[in-house]
Amino acid sequence: MKRPITVFSVLAIASMFLFACSPARSVRSGPAVCKSDSVGCALIKSGQTIKIGMGAPMTGDNAAFGTDISQAAIMAMADAGAFQGFKFELVAQDDGGSAEGGASVANKLVSDPTVVAIEGHIFSGATVAAIPIYEKASLPMLSPSATNATLTTTGSKVFNRNVFTDAIQGKFAASYLYNTLKIKNLAIMHDGAAYGQGLAQTVNDIFKQLGGNVVAFQAITPGESDYSAVLADIASKKPDAIFFGGYTAEAAVLVNQMGQSGLTGVTFFSDDGIYGVDFLTRTKQNGTGAYSTSPVPAPSDASKKFDAAYLAKYGKAPGSLSPYTYTAYDAGAVLVKAIESVAVLGDDGNLYIPRGALIAAVRATKDYQGLSGTITCDSTGECSASGPTFYKDDGTQWVAVGTGS
Amino acid sequence: MQQKTALHVHKPVGTYRYVQIILGVFFSAYLLWRLYVVLIAHPAYGPDTWLRFTIDGVVLGSVYALIAIGYTLVYGILFMINFAHGDVMMLGAFGGYFVFEALGAYKVSSSLSFLNAYPVISVILAFLAGMAVSSTAGYFLEKIAYRPLRGAPRLVPLISAVGASIFLENAAQLLFSTQRWDYTNPAVLNRGAGWNIHVGQGTVVVTYTGVLTIVVSVLIMIGLYLLVKRTRLGRAMRAVAENKSTAALMGVDVDGIISRTFIISGVLAGAAGVMWGIHLGLVYYYVGFIPGIKAFTAAVLGGIGSIPGAMLGGLFLGVVESLGPAVLGISFQLKDVIAFSILVLVLVFRPTGILGEVLSEEKV
Repeated sequence: MKRPITVFSVLAIASMFLFACSPARSVRSGPAVCKSDSVGCALIKSGQTIKIGMGAPMTGDNAAFGTDISQAAIMAMADAGAFQGFKFELVAQDDGGSAEGGASVANKLVSDPTVVAIEGHIFSGATVAAIPIYEKASLPMLSPSATNATLTTTGSKVFNRNVFTDAIQGKFAASYLYNTLKIKNLAIMHDGAAYGQGLAQTVNDIFKQLGGNVVAFQAITPGESDYSAVLADIASKKPDAIFFGGYTAEAAVLVNQMGQSGLTGVTFFSDDGIYGVDFLTRTKQNGTGAYSTSPVPAPSDASKKFDAAYLAKYGKAPGSLSPYTYTAYDAGAVLVKAIESVAVLGDDGNLYIPRGALIAAVRATKDYQGLSGTITCDSTGECSASGPTFYKDDGTQWVAVGTGS
Repeated sequence: MQQKTALHVHKPVGTYRYVQIILGVFFSAYLLWRLYVVLIAHPAYGPDTWLRFTIDGVVLGSVYALIAIGYTLVYGILFMINFAHGDVMMLGAFGGYFVFEALGAYKVSSSLSFLNAYPVISVILAFLAGMAVSSTAGYFLEKIAYRPLRGAPRLVPLISAVGASIFLENAAQLLFSTQRWDYTNPAVLNRGAGWNIHVGQGTVVVTYTGVLTIVVSVLIMIGLYLLVKRTRLGRAMRAVAENKSTAALMGVDVDGIISRTFIISGVLAGAAGVMWGIHLGLVYYYVGFIPGIKAFTAAVLGGIGSIPGAMLGGLFLGVVESLGPAVLGISFQLKDVIAFSILVLVLVFRPTGILGEVLSEEKV
């Protein structure tokens, strides 16, 4: 039994040496910027592509997110065209959305010296694990979808995101409920998961601060087909509206059972976890009048053009797989723009991209006009274009009814 | 003639007896105090809400009861827990779903589909399809997963059952994907539509689908009772349950009876699946798991092996789940905790379940 372990450890040690001997990630030769840059330059030889990495769930239950976000990012790279003859390429790796997956994808991506920036990761859990690895390798990140509030509070130099956090979403939702919809008595429900519960808690706190009355705060068990008992309990508290923090799977069941539980005429209000066609098709007339929240802005000319192009290329309407199609496209475009602003074509025909300058350039993004609005990064890496947009189910589709303010 | 030599006659002695008494007094006192609080001291709900809880509980309980009978029938004959039973129910639910989809797409006139033109026939067809699918699944399940293990130690078919359950879930996932499918009921059976009853200050909706669920469930249970008590097949089933080898000596085809028992339990599961779909409207590959576990609990609660016990256990569990959190004043997320705590209590005080008998030596 001892021998295999010995062999294994020898192999393990040998592989460490191999990694140590992999080609230099950054060079000091070439143009002057590479000597002065804090990190050094990424060297893209002529004929190679400029790679932007991505860690996303591409398989499993949440594969729709990874598929959608990587497709939108690929479109952004394609639309960017060639820079000085160098094309952009998205390298999307499957991290399963988990912390372990996030770390292993990050290790894989930093081992490729032609990867210069990271779009992602997609899920907050995977992102937390990946940040220190990219920090060490000096790769700038821009996540279109990692919404956990704490990601930008750790003082990371490389991490940025162009999506609003759960805390911001909750704040806007509470004030929209209280100020615009004039709701006085609110019942709050959540699915007990980090996302839904956090959101519900924020709405609870802010709504009370505004002077509203929270009549019920109930958790449900996700995955069940019958919530009539908890709805009957809530009906007895006579709320004007229900806020639900969670996803479509449970929201559709709740909405379908509200009528028979004595909640006819009570407004159903939820988060970006229910925005999408799935909720509409599963609730039909029961869902009419329900509200959802989304990072997707009200349609503009640019977004309509994008919608048509996306539909033509992938056969699905953007937003049908995940709500992050637009932020994903914008994140790709912002990264491309930042790379173009710092990259230098060497005399030898190779492209030199100073890594330190690129990190600064991404964070210095200002007034970029994207599909999701105007993107400006602050000093902590929050680049969210705007607050959420609220949508109302008119029976057949989600209609934008207002923005957070 | 004294066949049923009681093995563990439950006359606990010494400290265990005192623990039982103390626990019993404590829980009864707590329950009475909670009832006093929620009904008299600080009435949390009006009578309309209590009625709503009860109706929800009875409807859910009647579905649990049907599934629980499937567990209990198989246990009575083979002394094994058929853990794949919940997934057999899921297959039945899909059977009904596809019948509704097909009839909904079949137009009898330009604007009217068969589903809405003949709702009664449609519902009957859906039930027949669900029962057919489930009983076929039950038959082959026994043939493939359990029959080769006849005579093996009791743990072996149990593990085979768990494997069969995982197999069926994954097969359904491959066939129907992970998507959640919604039952499209005939328009007259719209979920949420029903009779409005004025109670206290509120209006309670007694849904048509809920009433249908209860009625069908009761009819099937009466049918099953007659089958077991009044027919040759029922007598043979009881004989096999009592003693397989003696039954075989008396000319009973034991393997055939076991097959038929699985078919009958499949029929019940299929009906439960279609009822689940019509009333709750949701069907996906994992839909059988939770009702399966709950119905197993109900079967143990009522006394596994006893058919009236399974009916009672199912109804009891459904009502407790829906009334429990309200009475105890705790979060509705914890309803399963209440259900399983009651299971533990019942097992402590009456290890054989509410209607269970002391097991005969051979069954143990």
